[in-house]
Amino acid sequence: MSRIGVFVCHCGENISRTVDVERVAAEAARLPGVAYATDYKYMCSDPGQNLLKNAVTEHRLDGIVVAACSPRMHEKTFRNAAKSAGLNPFLCEMANIREHCSWVHEDRDEATAKASDIVAMMVARVKKDKRLVPITVPVTKRSLVIGGGIAGIQAALDIADAGHQVVLVEREPSIGGHMAQLSETFPTLDCSQCIMTPKMVDVANHPNITLHTYSEIEAVDGYIGNFQITVRKKARSVIEEKCTGCGVCSAKCPQKKIPNTFDKNLGTRPAIYVPFPQAVPNTPVIDRANCTWFKTGKCGVCQKVCGPGAINYEQEDQLIVEPVGAIVVATGFELYSITEKPKGSPIKGYGEFGHGTIPDVIDGLTFERLASASGPTGGKILRPSDGKEPKQVVFVQCVGSRAREKGISYCSKICCMYTAKHTMLYKHKIHDGQAYVFFMDARTPGKSYDEFWRRAVEEEEAVYIRGMVSRLYQKGDKVVVMGSDISVGVQVEIEADLVVLATAVQPRAGADTLAQKLGISYDSYHFYSEAHAKLKPVECATAGIYLAGACQGPKDIPDTVSQASAAAAKVMTLFAKDELEREPIVAKVNEKNCVACLYCKKVCPYGAVEEKEIRDRQGNLIRVVAYVNPGVCGGCGTCQASCPSKSVELDGYTDEQIMAMIEAL
Amino acid sequence: MNTTAQQLDTTAIAPAVYATITDAICREAEKALESGAVAAVVGWQAGRRQGTAMPAIVTTPADTDKLIFSPACVNNLALYLSKAKKEIRARGKIAIVVKGCDLKALVGLMGENQLKRADIHVIGVVCPGVRGTSEPLAKKCRECTVHTPEGADVTVGTLPELPHFTPAESEELARLEAMTPAERWSFWKEHFARCIRCYACRQVCPFCYCEQCLCDRNRPQAVETTPRPAGNMAWHIVRAMHLAGRCAGCAECERACPMDIPLNLLNRKMAKELKELYGHEAGFEVKEKGPLAEYRENDDQSFIK
Repeated sequence: MSRIGVFVCHCGENISRTVDVERVAAEAARLPGVAYATDYKYMCSDPGQNLLKNAVTEHRLDGIVVAACSPRMHEKTFRNAAKSAGLNPFLCEMANIREHCSWVHEDRDEATAKASDIVAMMVARVKKDKRLVPITVPVTKRSLVIGGGIAGIQAALDIADAGHQVVLVEREPSIGGHMAQLSETFPTLDCSQCIMTPKMVDVANHPNITLHTYSEIEAVDGYIGNFQITVRKKARSVIEEKCTGCGVCSAKCPQKKIPNTFDKNLGTRPAIYVPFPQAVPNTPVIDRANCTWFKTGKCGVCQKVCGPGAINYEQEDQLIVEPVGAIVVATGFELYSITEKPKGSPIKGYGEFGHGTIPDVIDGLTFERLASASGPTGGKILRPSDGKEPKQVVFVQCVGSRAREKGISYCSKICCMYTAKHTMLYKHKIHDGQAYVFFMDARTPGKSYDEFWRRAVEEEEAVYIRGMVSRLYQKGDKVVVMGSDISVGVQVEIEADLVVLATAVQPRAGADTLAQKLGISYDSYHFYSEAHAKLKPVECATAGIYLAGACQGPKDIPDTVSQASAAAAKVMTLFAKDELEREPIVAKVNEKNCVACLYCKKVCPYGAVEEKEIRDRQGNLIRVVAYVNPGVCGGCGTCQASCPSKSVELDGYTDEQIMAMIEAL
Repeated sequence: MNTTAQQLDTTAIAPAVYATITDAICREAEKALESGAVAAVVGWQAGRRQGTAMPAIVTTPADTDKLIFSPACVNNLALYLSKAKKEIRARGKIAIVVKGCDLKALVGLMGENQLKRADIHVIGVVCPGVRGTSEPLAKKCRECTVHTPEGADVTVGTLPELPHFTPAESEELARLEAMTPAERWSFWKEHFARCIRCYACRQVCPFCYCEQCLCDRNRPQAVETTPRPAGNMAWHIVRAMHLAGRCAGCAECERACPMDIPLNLLNRKMAKELKELYGHEAGFEVKEKGPLAEYRENDDQSFIK
């Protein structure tokens, strides 16, 4: 006969307001196998835990049910308490009578009856609980960072500085990300590249960092502490070890009219190129889609002029397998485009803004390139259509963002500040120019942020108009901006030379595909989801994977860098131990019954199921059965559900336990 | 209804066709055994009563002349290659005589890791049709799409011209689908009420190869074992669900049922659902993952309400 202890928690008033906890305890005491039942105001408090520990000794309990909140909150607390009282911690279970009962019901009698049922079910389950021992798995103290923007750079440097190996994977030919494209940064107006390039150089020179640029994640296998990452290193057509970065190939390349994506297509570049002067690594890459050699098989100029003989047209994509223990995802963002969207996309385009066909209507990042000294105009603000200096510039905020009717309801967070910055940069370069800003409201919470915005309005004389723009159209060489000023209730029409749209921050295209490879969750916009909005802001729900930067949600540079360092700290915490202790809630195969149809292997999302050969003493194969690797098993129970003969079961959730719970109802 | 087809006996279709196939099977079996390529041949032999047939396992070239093919060769011999039949598998490489529908079961077993293609030699027969339990032509044969098996090592026989048959089973299924849920429920309740839980349907099914059937477990008991309505219903639902996406449509369950429960109707319905939802048809290629073992972003979610 079992000797189960039941502890019913009031949770202050959270539970006792709706559930008669004393009655629940009294009814639990009458359940067969329950040796002791009581209620207490705060079970998670020290006295509450002591109550539990003392009861274990006093009443010789061999199982515990704590009827309180979700096991997500306090299962660990009570299991530890049970452990310190000498009980196997996995003989302690929680009955959730808060989230599953008191918080969702109003009728006291009915809620109390339901709470009693929940307790009775858990008592039935605990009776059939096994004594489990935690599983230990080794940790590979090597980290993967996906994305070489400022988030990825910071996370990689922090982890590498702590003495651990880091593999940094970047999709583009150079690290740097969006920050490398910016001219100046708010709220201090220091040059973006000046503060960023030292970090890029650090990455290039760091002995602990292995850098794979022009590379993508092909496949992710394994689990926390033991991931196997397959990286596709795309063919650069340039041998990195031989290239000296002299730049002769780019200078001599006859194909020079390719739109430069780094400059938002404002300038052009050759077919063999480095994206920008400070690129890391300073190794060019051949854009095969536009290279004459690859298109026609004739040319080969770069190969002829290359002194060290670094050009290799036959180079192929390489697949590299990197074993790592932790992953930091820092894939960043891209800007919403106002062009017409393909059918089926939940996000609509802006027909009223000309669907992106008016040349002098640009987005914020394009303006950054215009204002940047390294940009296509050498830092002169000239409009794209005719290269004239714009004397009237209209900035429009919240394009896409906070526009439910367009499909995006969130705030992109950085636009208020960068638009204020743009007005200043503009005023500093074109003194007789006038900047107008259409805005809903200025959101400037951040250190020195509001002061910065006020400076734009009060000192730099940007005219802020509270209201939205309804239409943009070309009239002669002007762009007519039709909007409303809701603070005075009038319609406004401005003939602008240039219009800059603060378009919404969106996750990178393909963010969902990467998430599926990694097995992490994402929201409806494809921003990656953190495990807890407040208390686990950098962890993913998938163990061993952490988030940094705008891939998780719109963020400015200070927030991104902070989060990157936080993610790095989490990785270091993981690496502080040689072995990882995992919950032993894993599936086990009943080898006697298993017929090796391997349905479990087909459905296992963790790749934990293998084939196992059973041999006799002479080594003759008797049969093949399925085997669950406990280190890899995530304890989801999918195999259990799919097994036709019920030959695989999850410890703690066996069919016997589930049936007992149902019967206890 | 096509009355000519109704009255047509399978032997009347083409008696010579069956005889030619019989000869060819014997030749192929003899060749395979003589060369030592296989250790045994699984086929059919004449039954004790006139006009019947039964499964046969032949291990010497001399015995191969007892193998036959006739309209009575209804058994799906794939059953004899499942792991449960250890004594046959232990002999080594096996040759097996299959009709198109039986071959689909073999393909399914390969996908489920029960069988390796290299371990078997498949003698496919071009089958014009076999007898049903009470009808001259089995219902499944009236709408057969695999008269000629694809992918056998050797295929014997040629298909004679067949008359057009009305698809009796599909018509019956359409009748059921047109019913209200309550009517359908009572249709099946009536049929399942007769079930005596002999499990003949399970024993004859090539896909019911589990060492221990979950329906035989008593700790915890998933399905009530006595032939009472609730347990009967549970058993037949478990059977239909476990076969969804796997059943190759040999209809052996229905043939073996002593209580004449139209079990293949359920199988056909499940197969139809799988085809409509996932474009999946069991038994045509060795698939690592069937549609029910795979998750795709664009899977049909409309059933979640």
